[in-house]
Amino acid sequence: MYKEVLDKITGIGLYGVVSILIFFVFFSGVLVWSLALKKAYLSKMGSLPLDGGERPDPTNERIQS
Amino acid sequence: MNVETFKYDNRIVRAFAIVTVIWGIVGMLVGMLAAVELFYPGANLNLQFITFGRIRPLHTNAVIFAFVGNGMFMGIYYSLQRLCKARMFSDTLSWINFWGWQAIIVSAAITLPLGFTTSKEYAELEWPIKIAIALIWVVFTINLIGTILKRREKHMYVAIWFYLATALTVAVLHITNSMTMPAGLFKSYSMYAGVQDALVQWWYGHNAVAFFLTTPYLGLMYYFLPKAANRPIFSYRLSIIHFWALIFIYIWAGPHHLLYTALPDWAQSLGMVFSLMLIAPSWGGMLNGLLTLRGSWDKVRQDPVLKFMVVAVTAYGMATLEGPLMAIKTVNSLSHYTDWTIAHAHSGALGWNGFLTFSMLYYLFPKLYQTKLWSTKLANYHFWLGLLGMMFYIIPIYIAGITEGLMWKQFTKDGFLQYPNFLETIVQIVPMLRLRSIGGLMYLGGTLLMAYNLYRTARSGVFEPDTEAQAVPWQQAAETHGQSAWHRVLEGKPLIFTGLAVVAILIGGLVEIVPMFLIKENVPTIASVKPYTPLEVLGRDLYIREGCLGCHSQMIRPFRSETERYGEYSKAGEFVYDHPFLWGSERKGPDLAREGGKYPAAWHYNHMDDPRSTSPGSIMPRYSWLLTQTLETDSLPSRLQALRRVGVPYPAGYENGPAQKDLAAQQEKIVAELKQGSVNADADKEIVALIAYLQRLGADIKNAPVTTAAK
Repeated sequence: MYKEVLDKITGIGLYGVVSILIFFVFFSGVLVWSLALKKAYLSKMGSLPLDGGERPDPTNERIQS
Repeated sequence: MNVETFKYDNRIVRAFAIVTVIWGIVGMLVGMLAAVELFYPGANLNLQFITFGRIRPLHTNAVIFAFVGNGMFMGIYYSLQRLCKARMFSDTLSWINFWGWQAIIVSAAITLPLGFTTSKEYAELEWPIKIAIALIWVVFTINLIGTILKRREKHMYVAIWFYLATALTVAVLHITNSMTMPAGLFKSYSMYAGVQDALVQWWYGHNAVAFFLTTPYLGLMYYFLPKAANRPIFSYRLSIIHFWALIFIYIWAGPHHLLYTALPDWAQSLGMVFSLMLIAPSWGGMLNGLLTLRGSWDKVRQDPVLKFMVVAVTAYGMATLEGPLMAIKTVNSLSHYTDWTIAHAHSGALGWNGFLTFSMLYYLFPKLYQTKLWSTKLANYHFWLGLLGMMFYIIPIYIAGITEGLMWKQFTKDGFLQYPNFLETIVQIVPMLRLRSIGGLMYLGGTLLMAYNLYRTARSGVFEPDTEAQAVPWQQAAETHGQSAWHRVLEGKPLIFTGLAVVAILIGGLVEIVPMFLIKENVPTIASVKPYTPLEVLGRDLYIREGCLGCHSQMIRPFRSETERYGEYSKAGEFVYDHPFLWGSERKGPDLAREGGKYPAAWHYNHMDDPRSTSPGSIMPRYSWLLTQTLETDSLPSRLQALRRVGVPYPAGYENGPAQKDLAAQQEKIVAELKQGSVNADADKEIVALIAYLQRLGADIKNAPVTTAAK
């Protein structure tokens, strides 16, 4: 609508390029890090919610027969 | 190594669970009333307190902050303790969190119908309540981080990451968007004006959906889905990528709420590109959830908990595909201001948030009461009633939205608007609005079935206030390796993690906030745009009180279909004195940006008394109380002072005498105009102020040649 508004800010064109670059670097970092994680660690982490330290749950079977 | 025995606090979980059900029903009931008022305006019984403009924000606030908010606390307080193998950091803080949040909800339920509102969507509550929200949120965050710090489990499961990101980001969003200047106990004016205010508001609005309705619920999905299916999440690696990519990208996508408005093309395109990129992590998360169930779909057939979860996760996938598509400029030009947006919001709210909350409730009640669900059959009825209700809600409203969008843009072969009267487009969609309310009723019916089922479940079991658990604290294990205290802190990582998450959201936030602050210096001023007169200020505050912007936009987009219908498109410089901006986001009535001078004063008077007397078939409610209520002028000085403090150039001392004189003179002028239209009105009635404001809309530009002078 009124493009002139932001166009008056000096060097604003660079903004979009920098945004994409920051994201690219960040995402690549996360990707490399997550791919480097050990399988044992991943499976330990994945099963964390299943062990809450509680005694065996008598109501684990929720479905009525 | 000592095995420690400790207890999980179930009381706080139960408390949040109960209020989740209660507020859910209340929020849906208010939604039902709002839906009915849209096709039967008399449903408000001519009571101002339950008129659409006032209960629409009540509905959205109740559903978002009361239903989903309490559901979120319920799920977090249950799962966090178990994931950390520790009781909550402080029971006192837990209960302050609970009662404080309920008090905020009650105060919202009282103040919104009374018309105390900032008008900013999902941030309507006035400043004292805003401060209370900030305080309670800090209490919650301390309790959250405190529990994480005293945990016995060394590793932080991905759900906790989502909780942390939620706590921190919501705080940043809430504080930034709540910057207002008080003008009395229940009135304030946004620090920002016009374009700047719109940018802050939609940066907030977008990310409130992201970080209040999405990230906490994703954390809950990552806990409760594996728990209910009794198997680990499909890919933990994918959940890591899901988390970082989601919180990083989400915060950049806000500009898609302002397509074809103040932002330049590149910023709109950036918002659009990041919105499209969001599909990847969102669908990664959805697939991660659904694939967790691979090989155990037979369980889904039997277990209502899993049934609700599957639909919730699927709805998450659908809504997060649709959202980015709506962020494409061409699609948005059709969908914006129409019921399409309402359909999109409800596929997320009813499907994702609603169904995930139901699944958690069905999971938790039998656990808390150490019994089985009272009736699986009833839960299945709820499931089908809810699912069908959702369809009955969403599909008609999609049709309505697309119909509206197309009709607004339709030209005849001679180049004139095919439907120049806005009412034609409303009359066309009224049957869809009726159908939608049936869908809402079915969904509500399902929720009532659930409430009964949960009540019977609770009665059939015995509540366990504390669950005993055992674990070896990881710190002890670390000490046996001779590690230093400092190293333990590093290894624990919650603080480092928190810092990283804040950096991730701030980078994206800055991308939107920096232009917002620079823009203030760069809005071209339009010489003929002047501050509102005292009477217009009070009229504008009535416009805000009645929630007119729930149905009327004040933002004409640069399309021929809009300029033909409403007049010249809106300019940034027109809004420099608008604290807050009132662009609106939905049209159930025509845009009002150029309303001034379109009709005589008497037309407005009669229209407000009974809209159908001037516009047959209109769905606007009557505002007859404006004709009888006396305008409150005592607060005028404090209002003008507050406006001056936020930058409106009223001369010093104007509020002590000259303003009152100007006000009286303009009242008399409007009364004289009304008399010309055979209407006898008292000068001190509210309607006179509202007419003054409506007649001012767009008049500055109409009455003077546009001279743009950059600073």
